[in-house]
Amino acid sequence: MDKSLTWKVGLIVAVIALSVFLLYPPKDKINLGLDLKGGMHLIMEVVTDEALAIQTDMSATQLRGLLKDASIAYDKVARKGFSRIEVTGTKLDDERRIKDILDDDFRDWTYTVGGSLISLALRPNVEQQLREQSVDQALETIRNRVDEFGVAEPTIQKEGLAGDRILIELPGIDNPERVKGLIKSTAMLEFHLVVGGPFQTEEAALAEYKGQLPDDLEIVRTNPRRLDKGFYVLKAATVVPGKDLKSARRAQDEYGAPAVGFSFNSQGAAQFERFTAANIGKPLSIVLDERIESVATIQDVIGADGIIKGRFSQDEVDDLVLVLRSGALPAPLKYIEERTIGPSLGADSIRKGLMACLGGLLLVVLFMLVYYRAAGINSVLALLLNMLILMGIMAYFHATLSMPGIAGIILSIGMAVDANVLIFERIREELAAGKSPKSAIDAGFKKAFWTIFDANLTTVISAVFLFQFGTGPIKGFAVTLIIGIVASMFTAIFVSRVIFELTYGRQKKLTRISI
Amino acid sequence: MLKIFKEEPTFRFIRWRFLAFALSGLIVLAGIFVYATRGFNWGIDFSGGTLIEVGFDRSVAIPQLRGPLSAIGLGDAQITRIGGEDKFFIKTLAALKRQDRPAGEKLEDIEEYEIVAREIRLALMDENERAQAAAGRIDLNNSAAGEIARFLRDKGLNDEDAQDTAGRIIGLRKGGTGIIRDLAALEQAGVKHRIVELLREQAFFSKFTFLSVEFVGPQVGKDLRRKAMLACIWALIGMLIYIGFRFKPLYGLSGILTLAHDVLVALSFILFFRIEMSLQVVAALLTIVGYSINDTIVVFDRLRDNLKVMRKDNLEAILDKSLNQTLSRSIFTSLTVFLTVLSLYLFGGEVIRPFAFTMLVGVIAGSYSTIYQSCAWLKVWERWLVKRKKS
Repeated sequence: MDKSLTWKVGLIVAVIALSVFLLYPPKDKINLGLDLKGGMHLIMEVVTDEALAIQTDMSATQLRGLLKDASIAYDKVARKGFSRIEVTGTKLDDERRIKDILDDDFRDWTYTVGGSLISLALRPNVEQQLREQSVDQALETIRNRVDEFGVAEPTIQKEGLAGDRILIELPGIDNPERVKGLIKSTAMLEFHLVVGGPFQTEEAALAEYKGQLPDDLEIVRTNPRRLDKGFYVLKAATVVPGKDLKSARRAQDEYGAPAVGFSFNSQGAAQFERFTAANIGKPLSIVLDERIESVATIQDVIGADGIIKGRFSQDEVDDLVLVLRSGALPAPLKYIEERTIGPSLGADSIRKGLMACLGGLLLVVLFMLVYYRAAGINSVLALLLNMLILMGIMAYFHATLSMPGIAGIILSIGMAVDANVLIFERIREELAAGKSPKSAIDAGFKKAFWTIFDANLTTVISAVFLFQFGTGPIKGFAVTLIIGIVASMFTAIFVSRVIFELTYGRQKKLTRISI
Repeated sequence: MLKIFKEEPTFRFIRWRFLAFALSGLIVLAGIFVYATRGFNWGIDFSGGTLIEVGFDRSVAIPQLRGPLSAIGLGDAQITRIGGEDKFFIKTLAALKRQDRPAGEKLEDIEEYEIVAREIRLALMDENERAQAAAGRIDLNNSAAGEIARFLRDKGLNDEDAQDTAGRIIGLRKGGTGIIRDLAALEQAGVKHRIVELLREQAFFSKFTFLSVEFVGPQVGKDLRRKAMLACIWALIGMLIYIGFRFKPLYGLSGILTLAHDVLVALSFILFFRIEMSLQVVAALLTIVGYSINDTIVVFDRLRDNLKVMRKDNLEAILDKSLNQTLSRSIFTSLTVFLTVLSLYLFGGEVIRPFAFTMLVGVIAGSYSTIYQSCAWLKVWERWLVKRKKS
């Protein structure tokens, strides 16, 4: 055996060894997709507009305070849209002082002052930053909750072009309803003053205001599990923002029924104290996830600690404590997609995927052997190696194998032998043209190379576009296809050549080859 | 040596180009007609909606499902049989607004969907099962492990027993049809006798199970259609540039006309056979774009060589010659992929079948179009091609 051949064989053996090493043991190394092992796949959109609106509301409240402290007269400070604030009814004389306040404390805002109207808008870069923050924060919060609930190997990541979607994959999930509830709860515990209610329907509530609800009020429905079904009219501004909530715990009410206890941080406590002192005797509502959990009259000044009473079961208290502890979501989430794959379907899909793979492999192998004889064996060896490398690379990248991924593997079986067919047909042509077997093999490989390269490159080009476009499983398909094609370039051109050299290289006078 | 053609064949392909153009045109026109009249059978990826795969323990006819679904106002749900007679897809739109909902109650899409799934489950139960469910018993064929374990804990079992039993029940469902028929099966699977007796009181087995439940919100679809179309167009442009660069611009143009043809023909057949238009079908279309160009490149390569050698012949003869020389190669490379895709179609199961179908059509169309699009178009542009060659 000449030196270069030894070197080539060595390389092939090394590649085989590496692939086996990467792949072994396959059970641990190949990640099965949810469609194969069962589980729950969720895509949620963070309603970042809402996060902005909350931030803007807080700034509006701050502005009111500042104007009041400086005894500047105004009619109304209101949020417009989700990132603008309008102040109406200011006096011309105060313009200088208002501008000073805005310049000092509202640097994230641009403003225009026109007579008695001042409008503020959040700077676009700040707005963008807030949006991104809210998604990151949501991601973190969801991760905490899922971890705390104890789901094994969850996938939680950002998705989508706008980057405002979150993909959550929970394999073999036990209790879908409860987990969904946990993830989705904004845990935005808000306190709103009650203006009117309860009403039977939203229309009845609206009728109180002649169908035109003032800007600073909102109609919220009750959570029917805690209160009688109905609607209340609430002040839109929240008293203490959810982020000032410090902790939550299991508690009991005076009758020993399960309840949720909570504490504010010092800032929140101070704010809540000031607020309750000013509103004794008025009804206050506790709103969670945009539903009223409880309505009670403020009896006394409340500081850092409070409890939420209601018709809670112990499980409900536990879940609520968990979500409150893991921190509030900065904005509500909207479900975009949900797929739940049962355990038996996954097992069935694996069986069918394997069947299709074996079927495809068998058909191709049979065809190659019957048509190309000994050279067929060559291509089959190359094909098997191709499969091994493909799986090895997938294991290395921790790629997830899903049903479309299996389809990708099956396709690569068919496409990998394409290269062999191109080479063999070319060799046959060269033989027919009267060349000696050795030079025919040489010419066959040389002349087919660029054709194979072109053909594979075009497939890779469209697979790349597919990857760009696709979501999870489709991306998996594109990736398998690309890896399969790259591996086939190596096996069909390099490995197959070496096998030819090994079989025919030592024969001094080669007159016939089986192809 | 086994060969399909003993000698190099001498088919005069190009002569029949107008017939071929007419055939392709006819298929695409018919496709457009179906599109205009009936449209695509959009999958939930694109249309939004709920898709439930349900398996029964016996053969069921579609009307038997249609009845209960109509009773809950889902008469227009699409029911498709999968493989045998015991598995079905039930597809409904997401924006399902029930009439009996109290006024003023606004639900999010997802809640809407959860209600739909729950109601379909109840609707498919028979009287007896529904009564059991109403009595607070647990349906062991339609409950997740955690739900079963929690139920058992509530009934006074310790945590370990509850987990163990739930695990065994799910284990049983994983094998076979996914449906447990009776308690005897549980005992065989090693559930303690005491617990089986408890379950006799507290649980029941409905005669079906939801194998998968999928929901896609309506806002996703619109975005996706546009993106799918853009991805296809960009892939085509990618091919145009690549071939134009490797050969000549006119070759590139023939190339993408060929690919557009393949994609349109595949789409037409998807329309004819009401194949569900889903993400995986788009994946298949894009794969076709990348794959079906292969034969074309092989022929163009050969054509370039022949153009240098056969200076005296006219273009039609050179095209025919090139096609004949590469014919067995073209047939075989397509055949290997065809065989694997066929295997996928036959054995891969219902989930992947639309993908396999699209690929099958695409591979055949791709082989055909190498001859009757790529090369035929070159003939159409002979005037410009040949002039170029002379200058």
